[in-house]
Amino acid sequence: MTSNLRKRHRQEKWFQRMGLFSLCLALLFLGIIFGKILITGLPAFFKTEIEAKSAPQHLLNPYAQYVDQGKWTAASDAVDMYYKNGYPGTLSPQDSQSIEALKSQNKIRLSFNGAFFTHSDSSAPEMAGIWGALLGSLLTLLITFLTAFPIGIGAAIYLEEFAPKNSHIYWIEATINNLAAVPSILFGLLGLLAFIHFIGLPRPSALVGGLTLGLMSLPVIVVTTRASLSAVPFALKEAALGLGATPLQVLFHHVIPSALPGITTGVILSLARALGETAPLLMIGMVAFIATPPSSFLDPATVLPVQIFNWSRSPEMGFVENTSGAILVLLLILGLLNGLALFIRKKFETHHGF
Amino acid sequence: MAFKIDVQNLNLFYGEKQALFNVSLGLPASQTTALIGPSGCGKSSFLRCLNRMNDVVPNLHLEGKVLLDGKDIYDPSVDVVDLRSHVGMVFQKPNPFPRSIYENVAYGPRIHRLFKDKSALDQIVEKSLTRAGLWDEVKDRLQQAATRLSGGQQQRLCIARAIAVNPKVILMDEPCSALDPIATAKIEELIDELREKFTLVIVTHNLQQAARISQKTAFFHSGYLVEAGETGELFTTPKDERTQGYITGRYG
Ligand SMILES: Nc1ncnc2c1ncn2[C@@H]1O[C@H](COP(=O)(O)OP(=O)(O)OP(=O)(O)O)[C@@H](O)[C@H]1O
Ligand SMILES: [Mg+2]
Repeated sequence: MTSNLRKRHRQEKWFQRMGLFSLCLALLFLGIIFGKILITGLPAFFKTEIEAKSAPQHLLNPYAQYVDQGKWTAASDAVDMYYKNGYPGTLSPQDSQSIEALKSQNKIRLSFNGAFFTHSDSSAPEMAGIWGALLGSLLTLLITFLTAFPIGIGAAIYLEEFAPKNSHIYWIEATINNLAAVPSILFGLLGLLAFIHFIGLPRPSALVGGLTLGLMSLPVIVVTTRASLSAVPFALKEAALGLGATPLQVLFHHVIPSALPGITTGVILSLARALGETAPLLMIGMVAFIATPPSSFLDPATVLPVQIFNWSRSPEMGFVENTSGAILVLLLILGLLNGLALFIRKKFETHHGF
Repeated sequence: MAFKIDVQNLNLFYGEKQALFNVSLGLPASQTTALIGPSGCGKSSFLRCLNRMNDVVPNLHLEGKVLLDGKDIYDPSVDVVDLRSHVGMVFQKPNPFPRSIYENVAYGPRIHRLFKDKSALDQIVEKSLTRAGLWDEVKDRLQQAATRLSGGQQQRLCIARAIAVNPKVILMDEPCSALDPIATAKIEELIDELREKFTLVIVTHNLQQAARISQKTAFFHSGYLVEAGETGELFTTPKDERTQGYITGRYG
């Protein structure tokens, strides 16, 4: 008896240690990944500037001369790389020497790279920014939300609260559950077929991207919404029905308010997933090089993860930095969305749905 | 004597399974009727027929008549919503809404539009809580979450919530089974007071309780109404030997 007890305690300890070990391992990897991205990406938020008068013309950025009117002018890509990382690249030894000279005279400096946030894609890494992609992501996500949210919630409410329990409904439910697990690239194919070939919407637009991602998010939203609706205790519905509330009143006064934290969390998380999605958008041609930010839902657009994908394939050193910088921005937004989901959940839970 | 609710030849089927067999029972106005019987004999099923809470059960089939003030509540012309405003229900487990105490009581009057202005609603809330014996305990914290009350207080709140719509009949399905003796005593006292104004039907497993609070008792056994009559009589001189066996504790 006592030896049995000791054995069970040992098992428990062992199990706890295993859990702790896995947790540490996961944290370690997370730390390494974040560290690496931070180290590579942070420099993208800064650019090297030179006091224009004191430097040879070819060290300055050929584009910047038209933009920067002040005393300080952006340096060329090669100088930027050299100053930040000590990586000589295409610079001649004389050039490196003159940079060292500028350094000792304090005529070269790092300053905040606003262009990274206000410019769109460009073939020159030091001129490229994420503004166009950010705007594209916003417009796309708006379309995704506007389509997936009402349809998904509506379908979930119907299936959970009103649908008769027959074999048709059963098959629809099973299909939706399976769709939630279908690889996202297939939704890209579906979007290509339905919205571009069939309906004929303009190709790499936020509208098509948003609709495609909406299709992708729909089953997930239905599944999570149904889960939170079915978690509402039956006793609550019974109480309201017993007082003479109509089924619609039960739904709007009791079921939805109680399920709201779960529903919003599910919607936000599926939108976050849509925001980070690349594969289906490649299928519908949102991978093109787009240098002007979209001004409508029908304009050619790209989104942040696709921009990252594009930059990551470019050979220039500057794009490596831009890639990591854009990843940092994407991660920040995803973190904020997840934080929002967490906040809503906590807030509503303490207030018991009201 | 005229019955408030008169059940005639009620047969109830869950799909193929018959749960009630030809039950006929009259519930006298301004009295408490206790439903007793072994577990699974159909007491809850019977109770839920009286305000059509069974409507939500799939594959349910029902034969017979349930007359409320002489009108069949299963008649197609009857509106369930209206019916339930006349026949309220209190459940086994206290189930307050996750809202404030005030909003719990005000909910019924709100959906049925039973008041003219805010002060009238305040009055309904105060009156209902007073009747339920809860007013003094909660009058200073009406805006507090109802879920933070104790179990017994929650059950009394549920009773207040039910009487706030001013029903004719209140159905209670083992309202004290989740409560301690003191809270139970309070609810029993309350039931006794409410009888003046409402017709009460209460399911209970506690025979002493049935004897204490009811004027009429009905004994169910495997879907049949075995015996019904004046409470004192049924407990002292049961006519059926199954009743005799149940109340003397030979089985149950
Ligand atoms: N929704 C349902 N579907 C199918 N059968 C049901 C349903 N509800 C009850 N029954 C069956 O009907 C019979 C009577 O059940 P009921 O709940 O009325 O018993 P009860 O007398 O209230 O029992 P208890 O004292 O344990 O609460 C039982 O055999 C039960 O299995
Ligand atoms: Mg029961």
